[in-house]
Amino acid sequence: SKDSDHAVVVAVASRAVFEPGAGGGDGVYAEGVAFPLLQALQKVNERLLEENSAESLLFDIVLITTDSQQQQQSSQLISSTKHYGLEVSRFCFSTEEDFSESLLKNNVQLFLSTDRNEVSQTSQKGVLSALLDEYTASCPSEQLRVLLCGDAVIRPDTNPTPASRQAAQSFSARLGKMRQRFGMSDSPLSITLMTSCGGRDSCGGALQTLRSLGISADEAYCLAGAPQGPILSVLRPHFLLSDGFSGLED
Amino acid sequence: MSEMKPSDVAAAEDSSEEQDWNAAKTFFDSLKSNKPRPPKPRFAVSIAVSSRTLFNMVAERKIYEEEGVEKYVAFQVEHENEPLKPGPAFPFVKVGLRTSLFTHFQLAFNLSDLTIERFCMTGGKSPIGYLEAYMTNLYLSKDSDKVTEAIEAGIAAATVFMPEKESELSDTQLRVAFDGDAVLFSDESEIIVKQHGLDTFFEHEKHFENQPLAQGPLKCFLEALGKLQRKFYSKNERLNCPIRTFLVTARSAASSGARVLKTLRSWGLEIDEALFLAGAPKGPLLQKIQPHIFFDDQMFHIEGAKDLGTIAAHVPYGIGQKYHKGKLIEQPAKKE
Repeated sequence: SKDSDHAVVVAVASRAVFEPGAGGGDGVYAEGVAFPLLQALQKVNERLLEENSAESLLFDIVLITTDSQQQQQSSQLISSTKHYGLEVSRFCFSTEEDFSESLLKNNVQLFLSTDRNEVSQTSQKGVLSALLDEYTASCPSEQLRVLLCGDAVIRPDTNPTPASRQAAQSFSARLGKMRQRFGMSDSPLSITLMTSCGGRDSCGGALQTLRSLGISADEAYCLAGAPQGPILSVLRPHFLLSDGFSGLED
Repeated sequence: MSEMKPSDVAAAEDSSEEQDWNAAKTFFDSLKSNKPRPPKPRFAVSIAVSSRTLFNMVAERKIYEEEGVEKYVAFQVEHENEPLKPGPAFPFVKVGLRTSLFTHFQLAFNLSDLTIERFCMTGGKSPIGYLEAYMTNLYLSKDSDKVTEAIEAGIAAATVFMPEKESELSDTQLRVAFDGDAVLFSDESEIIVKQHGLDTFFEHEKHFENQPLAQGPLKCFLEALGKLQRKFYSKNERLNCPIRTFLVTARSAASSGARVLKTLRSWGLEIDEALFLAGAPKGPLLQKIQPHIFFDDQMFHIEGAKDLGTIAAHVPYGIGQKYHKGKLIEQPAKKE
């Protein structure tokens, strides 16, 4: 059961979860790039409930669709979800205009999409959003891997506002709390910090900031100017969040 | 390395254990100053060191092994503002940094191990992916499994040992010593010695004198050092070159030395000094050379070096791993 006060609501664009238009046979959609991400979120819930069957700090997964074509096939969307055993608590169908409001109304704490424009818009409306792209894992994984970028300018087109910084921090704090439910090894959730430009003080400061938010990073990478590409291809996070973790004075 | 903001140097009591720490920090901070430094090569060698080789963490390791990972982490957090004592790789890295030869990054388990600009905390996972991603020229660790994995992935790697005594090492010139067979070269000749004896070995080497040996796991690191050296040579800095390399081999110059030198030449590599011991112990000679690190594939030589104060690094490669002092090691039952 999911207590709405404690659930972490994650909305994913259905276009990212299922291949648009592609038939998976039997009238079911084929798996999209965010499919493994959903499975990983679900795995975290399963493990949380294993630790404590009365756990209320769980992921609450919402599929959101603006694509009018997918909306017409809403029953196919729902049956595909059932077919793959995905635990989706809600389906939201929204127009492009109402999209961000819809997210806010549903108390979405994180929105994930493969559409850069969509992410940019929702971000500007104050919804914590992350783009799923070539850096983020689309291969199946036992563990949900989240990357927090300390000082990175990974998404130059998003401007961190104080509100979005706050949203990033509070979301991450909840992730941190979830992480604490598990021991050092064999956790279904792994939190990694990366700083790109600053030196050890910058990364050390970011780690301290995380710690003050109740987040214990499993891994940390201080690149100090080294290129990000190689490490991202090794880390393969399911999604990454920037801003909100800078250890330097703003 | 990126530009750093000036950081506050924490006030530290001047105990003898912390003098090394302060000295290292001063060297490190001096990299930010405008004082004239040796010409900075555009090509820098990338070294990855584990926290246990950079610092002396014997006590911490004991906690990890005896009380488990959670207690280890708790201990580290509790002591995170205390500086760590230097470990075996410390002089090597210190001088490499000071002479601007290395960019490097550190692999550590826990956040309190931070002191270097670029680092990775992999939470105990295999570092091989990262080593490859950042084109590491040399990986130093205490973990022989990880080192073996790195060698199999084509990365020069070794497990570093703390010497029994301290020695006076140069602050201005990085001195690196290598064994020949199964380190710079493959173990093909060593196999002949182990399986057919010395006489066959001598005959074989003379016969194949002009055929280069195959390369060994540390050849690429020597090559990287050579590239750096050439930068200094091209600026007429040969006499002041801050790197000096040594070959320290049990081969004898007369009977089997030529093949080694010809192999190096065929690779286009130079070694500054080649020392042929003809089977004599390496310890005393190394004591004279005083390298910041000495690479060998045989634990027998590593121990000999350590006993006389040389920082020795074991390369777990080749036929030498199956023997100890010339005798085949009984393989112990694998621990489950």
